[in-house]
Amino acid sequence: MNKRMLIAIVVVVIVAVASIAAWQFSQIPSAEARSIRVGIVAGMNTVEGQDIERAAKLAIDEINAQGGIWVDEWHTKVQVELVLVDTVDDAAGSTAAPVTRAITDQQVDILIGGATTGGTLNGQIPAITNRVPFIITGASLNLVTRRGSLPEGNPLRINDTVGMSYMFHYCTTISDYSYTVAHFLADSVKAKLDSAYSFDSSRKLRLAILYRDDGYGRGVRDVTSTIIKQDSLPIEVVANVSYAPTATTYQSQLISVKESNPDAVYIAGFTADTAEIVKEGINDVGLKSLYIAVEICEDPQFYTLLAQTGDKQILESKIATQWQGDTWYLPKVGTYVEDYKNKFDGKIPGMLGADTYDAVYIYKNAVEQSGTLNKTNIRDAIEATDMPQSLLIMENQKITFSTGTNYHEIMPKTFIEQLVWNSEANALKPFVVYPASMPGIVPFYQRDFALPTDYEPGSP
Amino acid sequence: MITTAGLTEALLWGIANGCIYILLATGLNLIFGVMKLVNFAHGQLLMVGAFIAYEITTIAGINPYLSIFPAMGAVALIGIALERFAFRRVRGTEKLNEIFISLGLIYVFQNLATLFWNENYNIQIPSPLRGLSYSLGEVLLGYDRMLAIAVVIVVLVGLVLLTKKTKIGLAMRATSQRSDTAMLMGININRVYMFTFAVGAALAGAAGALYGIVFSFNPAIGALPTIKAFAIIILGGLGSIPGAVAGGLLYGIAENATGYLTNGIWQDAVAFALLIIVLIIKPTGLFGEKGE
Repeated sequence: MNKRMLIAIVVVVIVAVASIAAWQFSQIPSAEARSIRVGIVAGMNTVEGQDIERAAKLAIDEINAQGGIWVDEWHTKVQVELVLVDTVDDAAGSTAAPVTRAITDQQVDILIGGATTGGTLNGQIPAITNRVPFIITGASLNLVTRRGSLPEGNPLRINDTVGMSYMFHYCTTISDYSYTVAHFLADSVKAKLDSAYSFDSSRKLRLAILYRDDGYGRGVRDVTSTIIKQDSLPIEVVANVSYAPTATTYQSQLISVKESNPDAVYIAGFTADTAEIVKEGINDVGLKSLYIAVEICEDPQFYTLLAQTGDKQILESKIATQWQGDTWYLPKVGTYVEDYKNKFDGKIPGMLGADTYDAVYIYKNAVEQSGTLNKTNIRDAIEATDMPQSLLIMENQKITFSTGTNYHEIMPKTFIEQLVWNSEANALKPFVVYPASMPGIVPFYQRDFALPTDYEPGSP
Repeated sequence: MITTAGLTEALLWGIANGCIYILLATGLNLIFGVMKLVNFAHGQLLMVGAFIAYEITTIAGINPYLSIFPAMGAVALIGIALERFAFRRVRGTEKLNEIFISLGLIYVFQNLATLFWNENYNIQIPSPLRGLSYSLGEVLLGYDRMLAIAVVIVVLVGLVLLTKKTKIGLAMRATSQRSDTAMLMGININRVYMFTFAVGAALAGAAGALYGIVFSFNPAIGALPTIKAFAIIILGGLGSIPGAVAGGLLYGIAENATGYLTNGIWQDAVAFALLIIVLIIKPTGLFGEKGE
């Protein structure tokens, strides 16, 4: 071996050893490395909040089982810690203090959750002020990311544009699901009524809206009326009746609704109040109508509370956790439901938990993309999210956040289920009756919509 | 659209709901009248009564109306424990001590119930009469509510007999007028207080069982009925059982009529406005006496 050859070999070896050493050195976790603290905003006195917490736990345990989330600037995978931000009942007055504590004392890196509109509108303020990214997975009023566009003087307006840019809405909005409900009524229910009762085709469907007297309920009332008008749907809103969010009985409101002779009753309530309304309406007041519940009621408790009374009633939804079919409409939903049931003693997941589960993975993706826990970088990374759809059906089959007028919102698709009493299983089972198809999912539609057995239509 | 039939139905529902409030308010009133004790956790006893009745009905498979009696008994025992181990300890000290104990008990009961009945959120006691109604023309009144009215009447008659026709009732009345004089007359006021608290709690237990048959309930339901019960006893007059009956009926009717005639958000506001009006006109309440 000549001298030049020997020198070349030595140089190559030195370079190789140095490269390996440099690579190994880069793998040593930074001294700053610590667990990632994910604040889960959930009212533990509500079934929705319990579902949110369980789903977040499932996602975080899955991530930790794989070593955690890779944080590039620390050159290591970091474990995720669930910080429960218990907002008790998630009422408007219960949220700001625990969220503030989570930010200032527990130093959370991200906030995920927020079940109710009223609670979230207050709870998001400390997050806006402190520039903490907040992926809102429950409150469906689109205002939660659009408060900056409210007119001057509106008490809900937030002038802090930068602070608002940390808010993300991974949830269907009132507009999303009211659109589905209004079009279902116009397309399927009206057609069924016209044929079953020989109504003239010019007769408009008579709709009563019974809503919680809060931002969410009033939002559903207003948006539904706007959609009916904008899309020139053959629907007449014959009653707008509200009830106090604290109410526990609804007879007097149901009597008012009954006297408006509706063909259908659209209820903007939560799980417990909606179930109670349907039961009191049918059993006590004798309003044998078609009741439409909003997707927040996609919770096993709703099915249990309604029981046989819910036969042939309607539930608008965005995730069919109780899908009745041989194969799941989205394999990911099937895996999620099975994993959730296995982990939590056979409990069936609800809807808000599904949003939260996805949101944890959106955050994981943002950390991996940005390589840091810096909140500004995370905000930018969440805004740039481009992931395949997960548990929710998306218009373009991707998870992306808008940046225009519909600020930081996703593009979900919602659908209509009809609940059918199964006497063998002694339980209500949901079947998709609208729309006929969904992007990328075959088959989806399961059966034709049918009127409830003792159904009585409104006045001709 | 407002119709006579609709208004009548709303008023009848109001009477039925009012009857459940009466039962709760009467228990609260009895405790206040005899012991001069303001128990803010009284609604939580209603909640516990509802859960006990639910468990008895579902586990034993008995008629829900039969579960009222064991629920009353169980809540009475809880009442005895509360009086003996919590309120008696601070009797005679600052009134604030009693108030803070009762406020603390709200959270104790609510959290314990959440712990025990976490799986049974917003449940209802299954009744075979659920969904069955008596029809008066266009007006419907559910059998469960009619039975609730009947149960309340029977319980109240029993209470009146207890206070007017028995020795312990006489001792309760004597203690309510002047506890020190009653003591000098040989009445064991510790026993009277314990018995009074047990009876008051039993009434809350009965109200809870009826509440659970008529409405759905959860561990957090106690607060609002307590506020309503306070409004009712102030409306009817502190310490007066006929006052609690009149106040409960008036409150229930006002609440339901408002819900029917206006938007639901005014339901509580109008009912409390009624309370303010009565207090302005008659500061002692409808049946209250000066000095109470």
